[in-house]
Amino acid sequence: MQALCSVGKRIPKIDAVDKATGRAQYIQDLKLPGMLYGKILYSKYPHARIVHIDTSRAKQLPGVRAVLTGADIPEIKMGVYKDNRPLKVGKVRSYRDEVAAVAATAPHIAREALNLVEVTYEALPGIFDPEQAMQAGAPLVHEEHKTNVLKMPWKLHYGDVEAARKEAAFIVADRFTTTWVTHCCMGTSGAIAEFDPANNLTVYSNTQIPSLAQKDFLEALKAMGVQDRRVRVIKPCIGGGFGSKLDTYAYEYIAILLAYHTRRPVKVEFDRTEEFSATSTRQPTITYISQGCDKDGKLLFRDVSMILDNGAYTSWGATTPSVMMMPITSLYRVPNVRYEAKCVYTNNTYAQAMRGYGNPQATYAIESTMDMLAEAAGIDPIEFRRINANKAGDVSIQGLRITTCGLEECMAVVKDQLAWDRPKEANEGVGMASLIHVGGGARVYKSDGCGTIIKMDDFGKVDLFTGATDMGQGSDTVIAQIVAEELGLHIEDVHVIHTDTDVCPWDVGAHASRTTFVAGNAALGAAKKIKARLLELGAKQLESPLEKLILQDRQIRHREDAEKRIEIGKLLRKTHFSHAGQMLMAEYFYDPTNENMGRDFRGNMSMTYTFGTHGVRVKVDDETGKVRILNYVAAHDVGKAINPMLLEGQVYGGVMMGIGYALSEQVILEKGENMNPNFRDYKILTAKDVVPIAAPVLETYDKDGPFGAKGIGEPGCVPTAPAVANAIYDAVGVRIKDLPVTPERVLAAIRAKKGLDLCGRELSQDHPDECVIQQ
Amino acid sequence: MRKFTYLVPKTLDEAISLHEARGERAKYIAGGTDVLVKIKEGKLAPDYLISLKHILSQDRPFLNNETGELYVGAFMTHRSIEKSPLVQLHYPILHDAVKNIGSVQIRNVATIGGNLVNAVPSADGAIPLIALDGKAHIYSAKGERTMELLRFFLGPGQCDLGRGEILTEVVIPPQRPRTGSAYMKHGRREAMELPMLGVGVLLSLEEDLNTCAQARICLGVAAPTPFRALMAEKFLVGKAINAENLAEAGRIAGDESRVRDSIRGVAWYRREMVGVLVKRMGLKALERAENKAEGGRLTV
Amino acid sequence: MAREVSFVFNGNPMKMTVGDHWTLLHLIREELGYLGTKEGCGSGECGACTVIVDGEAVNSCLFLAAEIDGRELLTIEGLAVGDGTLHPLQKAFIENGGIQCGFCSPGMIMAGKALLDENPNATEEEIKEAIAGNLCRCTGYVQIIESIKSVSGHQTEEPRVIAWKTEENDRDA
Repeated sequence: MQALCSVGKRIPKIDAVDKATGRAQYIQDLKLPGMLYGKILYSKYPHARIVHIDTSRAKQLPGVRAVLTGADIPEIKMGVYKDNRPLKVGKVRSYRDEVAAVAATAPHIAREALNLVEVTYEALPGIFDPEQAMQAGAPLVHEEHKTNVLKMPWKLHYGDVEAARKEAAFIVADRFTTTWVTHCCMGTSGAIAEFDPANNLTVYSNTQIPSLAQKDFLEALKAMGVQDRRVRVIKPCIGGGFGSKLDTYAYEYIAILLAYHTRRPVKVEFDRTEEFSATSTRQPTITYISQGCDKDGKLLFRDVSMILDNGAYTSWGATTPSVMMMPITSLYRVPNVRYEAKCVYTNNTYAQAMRGYGNPQATYAIESTMDMLAEAAGIDPIEFRRINANKAGDVSIQGLRITTCGLEECMAVVKDQLAWDRPKEANEGVGMASLIHVGGGARVYKSDGCGTIIKMDDFGKVDLFTGATDMGQGSDTVIAQIVAEELGLHIEDVHVIHTDTDVCPWDVGAHASRTTFVAGNAALGAAKKIKARLLELGAKQLESPLEKLILQDRQIRHREDAEKRIEIGKLLRKTHFSHAGQMLMAEYFYDPTNENMGRDFRGNMSMTYTFGTHGVRVKVDDETGKVRILNYVAAHDVGKAINPMLLEGQVYGGVMMGIGYALSEQVILEKGENMNPNFRDYKILTAKDVVPIAAPVLETYDKDGPFGAKGIGEPGCVPTAPAVANAIYDAVGVRIKDLPVTPERVLAAIRAKKGLDLCGRELSQDHPDECVIQQ
Repeated sequence: MRKFTYLVPKTLDEAISLHEARGERAKYIAGGTDVLVKIKEGKLAPDYLISLKHILSQDRPFLNNETGELYVGAFMTHRSIEKSPLVQLHYPILHDAVKNIGSVQIRNVATIGGNLVNAVPSADGAIPLIALDGKAHIYSAKGERTMELLRFFLGPGQCDLGRGEILTEVVIPPQRPRTGSAYMKHGRREAMELPMLGVGVLLSLEEDLNTCAQARICLGVAAPTPFRALMAEKFLVGKAINAENLAEAGRIAGDESRVRDSIRGVAWYRREMVGVLVKRMGLKALERAENKAEGGRLTV
Repeated sequence: MAREVSFVFNGNPMKMTVGDHWTLLHLIREELGYLGTKEGCGSGECGACTVIVDGEAVNSCLFLAAEIDGRELLTIEGLAVGDGTLHPLQKAFIENGGIQCGFCSPGMIMAGKALLDENPNATEEEIKEAIAGNLCRCTGYVQIIESIKSVSGHQTEEPRVIAWKTEENDRDA
């Protein structure tokens, strides 16, 4: 086999020069001629009837071109469950509910107009706790459903959990909770909508799902009575995604509606406060879990039941159980598994996809209880995991076919690089947690495909049109590397275009760590077609047998005869400018043969699975409860690192996001109201919080991956929280079961363990609550 | 941003007369990192902003060698205080505080005076200056008045400034010999934090370098305004400075606090941290006093 | 309401009329049309709008345009020299993976430049301090810090802990 020239190299991102020089254009930087600025008025209540909206004063403000309320627009239904509308009608169900929208000639005029919209509300009792919301008599968020529990039956039972429970020598059971956290993309959300005179629609949006957005917007047009028109979605540079842009949102529809009403391009761009309070979060969870093993430490069963706070409407957050199932059934070998998840409406914000798609929440409960079970069984936690580790060739009980698996090796590397057995100081501890994640696409939609078109020019350069979405992770570069490798070109010869549905083929979206695998395979498929044609032409030109030729360094060369060679560009020109000339173009649509889950949720949802283990060494300050991370090792089986530098970037970024999830981040909702919609009080980590991170990589060369690669976008933040929680337990003997692991929680747990109250006094019957300070 | 007229006086008197003529519609501005945020958020809506940035004054802290007093001008940026070798060497408690306010970008423009007149309970700048027994110098049409910086703070967001008055500087009296001091902000992250709690401790030792001659314990966010834990200070005087006595002082200071729950921290935890941090800052102050054993009046 | 200011913009002397209430960010983006400087929060908490004024990094979202009078302003567009040759810091960010989505990059690079101009031998701790006010959600800062470190004179040769394993040699990790 030829040595690799592009694949496997630390090649800088092909868009990095534009980004380093300020040339890259984001939605914030786009302005169309005649463009108006849209602003949104949000609800003043978490739950209220809209009695009356008076827009007359707002409409009279000079510069205002349109004011819309729910009454002015057709019935456009949004979201996974179609339970949401761009502008609310009848009642509001959360503080982020859109009540009215304004388009004006300048942003400040639009903002001023919002102040002139008079809304009369009749407050309704709100419900903010999903467990309470399930009880009879709780206020109903959507009356027409008669219950707050969504009719989404996430329920599976493989084997016989109750029988296994009876057999188990050791059992642990506990409750874990996770809260709202948010993506914090540095570039806020925004969209520009524009209609042409024939009512064809163009939307500029920093979406992660251009093709699905196109379909959603077409449906909106249909609802608006605009039949049979085209929708074009153009993506500017995206200032971070992380799952936040995996749905279409009210602000996009509002831009469309305002543009339709004003016949002008309309831009809606979020400010930072809106980005915090009006975009969707990661799905919060309440998890009841029990696991049991036999006396030798072999897992016998896992039993998990979850309650998800759905918020007031339904986006992808409600479907995260489809991914949570994967670690629940298949992280380690478990013969009997039961899982149930209930999504419950409340008057809180609603959740969305966020890096890991439910996996971080599930893995937190699983890997915390794995440590607890190891301790109960008296087995070293690494050995316990080794006993139960997945292996290549396994088919998990859910039907996941594990083709390559470096889990045991990852654990060994973590143990080694973290110096696991090194003597520890007081209050120092080590912890570990592993992960399984989809690494070869994820069939959650009717198609998991991606298309690619390649067009060669007369000079040996490639224009490559892909459905994939690069939101910073570097998929354009990875695709270019794959194509350059296959065609014997240099990376700079491949121009990747991913920005426009008018020219780019279909793709289901940038989610599930699928882009390198699926878009990579799509690009590879197209490149192979071109390669075959080039070799064919080369064989004719060089009068050599086809199998003797290779593509290398922009040339077609004979393997043995150095004299026989031709520049690819020259060959292309000869082919083009000849009688009955031809130009080389190829298309390829790659839809993996992974399976949609059946009614019992069995099915091989991904072509391959990424495994990894994270280990962390912490020091806990037992007086303040503060946790300091001394060292972090995140080892992953990635199949093949197409670009080690970008891959490490995914891991470092994921780990730091995961540490934030574990220790510091929290959207604070008080009766549904966002109390910290800013970077001052929403604590994403800063450069000064960076911990030493090592990102060792294991290459297992997956047969289905492009050059053997598996997906690695999300895993970096999947097992971080349980690894940290396990290390804290090792350090000070307290188990924190609620995220984030705040110093308050750690200190309270340390004191409770010592039999002390919060003030550090002996707990007694006489003054159990003395230290709770009356406000 | 909402429209306003920006006025740039060159002298204090000019600033005051500009303000006098415009009254409520005018607002002083220095670095602007707080004022402009408030205007953007709609919490302030002045028609006139009167800049104090161009009033000729010292641009870094300086020591009056005659009196031994340190002058910290209100219009100095945090960055200039942070970088002052004088402050780094002899007023480490002030250095501890200013070097962790906001970011470098903020500290390059935000002023210490702005931090003080905002009078938020979490103002990092106030705690060390109070612990150093700073006097606020306030200028108005009636002339200058001076007051204890401690008494300058009246409530959250309220300070003792009459209409048109300007805080011009904070003057720190000479320190006793064998004095050490330290400040710590308690937050969740290592940077960009408003403190959940701020604790400053200043200790002056007897000649034995062990017995406490004087203690000042100043707390931020532990009450509606920065305050001194007088009972805890009293407890320490005459006692040996060690972990045990400092822990007890911390406990007393915790009891003196009027902590409350907020999104940045819960009351019980804040009170407990008062105890821990008073002890830790006390030990750090002790170490610094010992390192600088000769102490006395400073000359630079 | 408005005033005339003279300043040096990316090396070029300028004279123009600015509104009293304009921020420097507004001046740069909306009036001068240079879009490399980004607004991430508008309140000095993210650093995306960082520019250099008289050698010091400032948040242009909280800096009045009127205050630029008589001073020197440098934005990301002023870093590369006329023939397109990139500044060493820009190169370092590109080559070390310091850029992902890129939204924080201009501000991050300007904060790094202000640091190295003042302290060409910045240590890792000093680098972290200098960019603590520049939030990044993609990179976890690791490769950003490496990028700046690679340009700083104060480089330490720490071996990177990377176990590069393949099927063939997975014994020795």
